[in-house]
Amino acid sequence: MSKHQKTPIDPVVLVLIGIVFIAVAIGLAVIQSNPNTVNITNGSGTVSQLLVAFVTGLTTGGLSCLAVQGGLLASSLAHQIEQDYAEQVAYGKTHRRVKAKAPVHSNSALPIFLFLVAKITAYTLLGALLGLLGSYLTLSPTVRAFLMIVIGIFMLGNALRMFNVHPIFRYFSIEPPKFITRYIRRTAKGTDTVTPLFLGALTVFIPCGVTQAMMAAALGTGSMAMGAALMLAFTLGTSPVFFVVAYLTTELGSRLEKFFMRFVAAVVLILGFVTMNSGLNLLGSPLSVQNLSRNLLPSNGGYATETDSAQSVAANEGLTLQVQNNGYFPRTIKAAAGKDFTLNLITNKTYSCSRDFVIPALNFYQLLPDTGTVQVSIPAQEKGSTLYFTCSMGMYTGRIVFE
Amino acid sequence: MIKKTFKVPDMSCTNCAMKLESLEDTLDGVREINASYHKLEMVIVYDENKLTDDQIIAEVKKKGYQAILA
Repeated sequence: MSKHQKTPIDPVVLVLIGIVFIAVAIGLAVIQSNPNTVNITNGSGTVSQLLVAFVTGLTTGGLSCLAVQGGLLASSLAHQIEQDYAEQVAYGKTHRRVKAKAPVHSNSALPIFLFLVAKITAYTLLGALLGLLGSYLTLSPTVRAFLMIVIGIFMLGNALRMFNVHPIFRYFSIEPPKFITRYIRRTAKGTDTVTPLFLGALTVFIPCGVTQAMMAAALGTGSMAMGAALMLAFTLGTSPVFFVVAYLTTELGSRLEKFFMRFVAAVVLILGFVTMNSGLNLLGSPLSVQNLSRNLLPSNGGYATETDSAQSVAANEGLTLQVQNNGYFPRTIKAAAGKDFTLNLITNKTYSCSRDFVIPALNFYQLLPDTGTVQVSIPAQEKGSTLYFTCSMGMYTGRIVFE
Repeated sequence: MIKKTFKVPDMSCTNCAMKLESLEDTLDGVREINASYHKLEMVIVYDENKLTDDQIIAEVKKKGYQAILA
């Protein structure tokens, strides 16, 4: 096979993709079936959101960003290295005992550091702008759901592109306008302190897939401060990996770099799948992994039925749903078909996104108080139907089954 | 000045296209290069009196890619 001929789809890649999908589906199904899920988001919802953003940046965002933005940094570094080498050679000629060699690391730490400082600053400002924009747009859960699904598809497409599954996936990569890339390229030739700062700021024009998902989350906060904080946490998280890999990049060699890129592609694939799934939850779709698994697999318990609270029904007090930091309990409520009832949403020091309660089919969404009870009127539903409810992020889910 | 298209099938991301476009700053005789990762090609406008197709292919090879005249 000649060098430039595309290899057919690697069967190992297909198997890997299949395993990833199945593993995530099983993982979500197992977590949902156990009401005592380990909660890592105790405490303030704001802090947990920022922590999740930071961890996302630390684990996957750094490598994903490096794949897209690393070239900008490398351009500046390469010129710096060439400059250093030229100086060494010139020095070697006048001092013949000195052996000239490329000082790969001696001056690369500072430009990388400056690059990252500028990138963090630029993305924080972008986060603030997105949050401000989000406060005016007031995205409804349905719009947010479609946004998540679109972003999820975009991430899946990018991951499949990185796996080189099919040429069609090339089109999931965003090509910046030529005047921007030309400007960035010509600016990268500078070796002064300002150039890496300037290049770092310009990375906002070429966000990687994970960054774009975080930008959508910043838009969804509807708050300038929260949007800025989210992007700050995320880009801070990306920085250690970015710094280390960029610093060692000349030592990695092509084989290790290929391994990193495949790892990034696998993680982007998982994130894309999870994002799409969250969008489906927010739409109240029975096709999301949680809803599908709940419908197909028997639950370990956690039902509340109308018969369990017959007296409360008689007193028109309705059924109760505990809204806790780690989700909704019980996850499945059985109710009688054909009659209205009241659903009591009870919070008690609840700060996570579970407070942002949504019933997509009824177009009901409300931010619940952190402690208290909110009553929701549920109109009569047909026998055999299901109403799904979720948090505004599509993460915590549950259902009401009418019998 | 003439305009020619070269296929570059081993581009793997938009960064590769940027690398190829940098030749317009370093290669004498080139007026403009538009490289596309989506189309896996580069369109180059150059002075045929200063530069040949083989020289362009050689310079692209130095960047790590295979260029084929379309």
